[in-house]
Amino acid sequence: MKKKILSLLLVGLLVFSFTACGQTETSNEITTDGKTETATNEGGEKNIDGMTFNEMLEAAKGTKVSFYGWGGNEKLNKWLDEVYAKSLKEKYDITLDRVPMDIDQILSQLSGEVQAGVDGPIDMIWINGENFKSCKENNMLYGPFTERLPNFEKYIDPESDDIKLDFGYPVEGYEAPYSKAQVVFVVDGAKVSERPKNAAEFLEFAKKYKGKVAYPALPDFTGSVFVRNIINETCDYSKLMNPDLTKEEVREIIKPAIDYLVELNPYLWGEGKTFPVSGPDKMNMFSDGELVFDFTYESYGPVQSIADGTYPETVETFIFDKGTIGNTNFIAIAKNSTNKAGAMVAINEMLTPKMQASKLQELKLLPVLDNDKLSDEEKKLFELDLGKAAIPQDELLSKRLPELPAGLVPIIEEIWAEDVVGK
Amino acid sequence: MSKKLYSRFLKPLFIILIFFPLLTIFVWSFIERWEWPSLVPTVFSNRAMNVIFRNKQDFFKLIGSGILISGMVALLSVITSTMAARAFVFYEVKYKNLINFLSLLPFMVPATVFGMGIQSIFIKWGLNNSILGVVIAHLIYSQPYAFQLMLAGTESIGRTYEELARSLGANAWQAFYKISLPMLMPVILASASMAFVVSFGQYFLTLIVGGGQVKTFAIVMVPYIQSGERNIAAIYSLFFLIILFIINHLLNYVGKKVEEKIYKG
Amino acid sequence: MKKKFTPYLLLLPQIGLTLLLITSLLTGIIQSFGVIPAFNLFKPSLKYYIEIFARPDIINSIFFSLKITLISSLLATFIGLVICGLLVSNKEKTPLVNIITHIPITVPHIVVALFTVIIFSQNGVFARLAYLLGFISEQQEFPRLIYDQNGIGVIISYLWKEIPFIIYFIHSLMSRVEGSLGEAARDLGANKFQSFIKVTLPLSSRVIISGFLIIFIFTLGAYELPLLLGATIPKALPVLAYQEYLHPDLRHRPYAMALNGIIILISLISSIIYYFLMKKRGGGYE
Repeated sequence: MKKKILSLLLVGLLVFSFTACGQTETSNEITTDGKTETATNEGGEKNIDGMTFNEMLEAAKGTKVSFYGWGGNEKLNKWLDEVYAKSLKEKYDITLDRVPMDIDQILSQLSGEVQAGVDGPIDMIWINGENFKSCKENNMLYGPFTERLPNFEKYIDPESDDIKLDFGYPVEGYEAPYSKAQVVFVVDGAKVSERPKNAAEFLEFAKKYKGKVAYPALPDFTGSVFVRNIINETCDYSKLMNPDLTKEEVREIIKPAIDYLVELNPYLWGEGKTFPVSGPDKMNMFSDGELVFDFTYESYGPVQSIADGTYPETVETFIFDKGTIGNTNFIAIAKNSTNKAGAMVAINEMLTPKMQASKLQELKLLPVLDNDKLSDEEKKLFELDLGKAAIPQDELLSKRLPELPAGLVPIIEEIWAEDVVGK
Repeated sequence: MSKKLYSRFLKPLFIILIFFPLLTIFVWSFIERWEWPSLVPTVFSNRAMNVIFRNKQDFFKLIGSGILISGMVALLSVITSTMAARAFVFYEVKYKNLINFLSLLPFMVPATVFGMGIQSIFIKWGLNNSILGVVIAHLIYSQPYAFQLMLAGTESIGRTYEELARSLGANAWQAFYKISLPMLMPVILASASMAFVVSFGQYFLTLIVGGGQVKTFAIVMVPYIQSGERNIAAIYSLFFLIILFIINHLLNYVGKKVEEKIYKG
Repeated sequence: MKKKFTPYLLLLPQIGLTLLLITSLLTGIIQSFGVIPAFNLFKPSLKYYIEIFARPDIINSIFFSLKITLISSLLATFIGLVICGLLVSNKEKTPLVNIITHIPITVPHIVVALFTVIIFSQNGVFARLAYLLGFISEQQEFPRLIYDQNGIGVIISYLWKEIPFIIYFIHSLMSRVEGSLGEAARDLGANKFQSFIKVTLPLSSRVIISGFLIIFIFTLGAYELPLLLGATIPKALPVLAYQEYLHPDLRHRPYAMALNGIIILISLISSIIYYFLMKKRGGGYE
């Protein structure tokens, strides 16, 4: 008898907690530290759309704002937790909740929630490229909002292609710039004396250092950008700026690049049959000396690595004469965020010279502000000596190539997998 | 197989095979660069140590949250499995083979498939982004281990002892509590331990069901391992293993105390 | 009345969890046919399966997946039961058994990938030892054990996890059988080896085959190790599924689910074979 009661109790407990939780959360409002804001009802939407920035500051006080993005960059995490979050708390009484999550999972979660018509915990999202396009096209983002941010007006050049377009796709105010990135090539000056300045020289370089040069397998995004850089070197890049190209049309245009890569294959680390699994893997191989050549989107990443001791002091960076691809990464706001006011205030803060300069200083990430719009005092904040290995900002930016349309990137990756691997 | 060969050669071999890889992880926690072809690391640093202890409060909160969730999973796993195993061994149940087979189902269903399905269900029930949702999802994946263990354990002990006790006048609950439970204790601990381990290491499932709002140690650890910074990856892995090691011993200790209590009282 | 319903009440939580799993599984299968309302996909269709089978590499991937899964699972089971047999017949005490089995089970697969690279890569510990001992003069001369077409590194790392798992799974039963019936056989004149082969092993066969099935199915569907240690091609099935899952265009999701569907189908077929094997042995519940 006792046993039966016990088991009934346990089952009942389970069922109870099932339903009880169901009741308290059907309204699905995420209560923040004081204020709630249901975004999906009519009144809510009108509220945030009609607010002035000052009203947003008021509404955001004492609330929590979540920032979802990749959590594998330890220094960035530290900066966000210690510098950025601290500033938000002190200036606006906003608590930042940094959530480490891969962008694919963020997309999964957001799309599931938006479809179900519920609010969600995601406020700010670190995003760009194909993922941004996917979110915007599927109505998963709130916007346009950037023109309502005072610092956007004040410090950003809205006409710059770096700001207006994200992988060739119009931003239209749905995401705010966060940091800039541009590909640089990396070698150890003590081991290697050449600095290939174009594709032809690079092929010679690979021949000379046979087996010690590689790029990661696509669709890793570093491998992907390497291929796109080669495309710029060997094909008519401008022809690819059309987002409506079919796979076969793309294949035709990039044929010279594919031929080049196949020619390059036998001199690579995996002889073209296998490629390093990821960007980080390849970086470790370079650090260990298994590879003599590396490349990264983080233009000043190698500078930081030298400071850490991960790279020897003799490491140098360089770019091709024709330039390297650069992009901007952004912050967007989730359509079903319950704290859009807080998100906008927080994003606005990210656009201050103080934050952008600090990010440059601590993380060596390129700032997104328009130099012309800065006062002389503010300009001083960005004058940093980054060391011998760094390429000066103006040189980088003068040789900067745009990214290809977002939709073409997976197509190029597919063609690479079909026509280059193992050939 | 001579006893000497076994104890002088094989035993140490097994131990080396297990510990050598873990040693490399331990060593890598303190390395910044290790150039070819040196057998000694080129640059040492305690950068990774500083990283993990950057914010002690948050760090321990994270561990605590992971332990809490996995602890609940372990507890519920044991209760569910003990009940189910008991049903199998002590009673007539139709479709035993089917139920047994279905208990192995979590092994067959890839995490992405399950994750996507459970996410939409939980959104409807309002369980997404909640600790309870994460516990339930973890429970499903810990269950096969716990159930198989409890089934084997309950079967091997069998009904005889309890039936004997009943015939001597004990009631059903006393028979279970005083006779079977102490004998089941080792298997219960093993089940709890397994369930805890499987839950503590869950990454994908916690993210998709927890929506980023339920933070566990695994969630913070995995991106660092993917990031390629080997020393940070190594030190997080090290702490992961240390935590599980401690929990395992704690469980054993608790189990012994419980056994003693039952025998005394 | 009491007796009749009690067992089902006891089984309720377990069954509840299973139902939840089955529902999710069905959702996944429905998604593989292209029905995902969340991404504005409403029409069921076979096209995702058809397109996948039309891909040039799919047959290679299926064979590669089956190959590494069979090799690692068979090896793990065989080596596992041999080691377990040794432990059991030497009456090895619990601490050592715990060390050998618990620790690897605790270590997550990504950590296993981490140290496999540290030890086995052409830049790893063994390669450096080989260089120091004069066996090789260049990094590239060290055999490619990971990122290779044969998946050797993948198999090795799976073995590190699965041999201990098999031992863990079969140890308690095997030691009981060995202790009682094995002992009896030796009393009747059989030597240790004979009693193991003729008595202990056959009587443990049910749990051994169950162990094999579990690791087989798990390995078939797991993506982490083949992703982190495998070659660029051929890719194992779960790796293909995972990469489709990551595709930013959410309308690609059915491809991921279709690939998962293939994995689940193979798993199902294996389980049915197992089910019949069990029935034949009379070891199941009649």
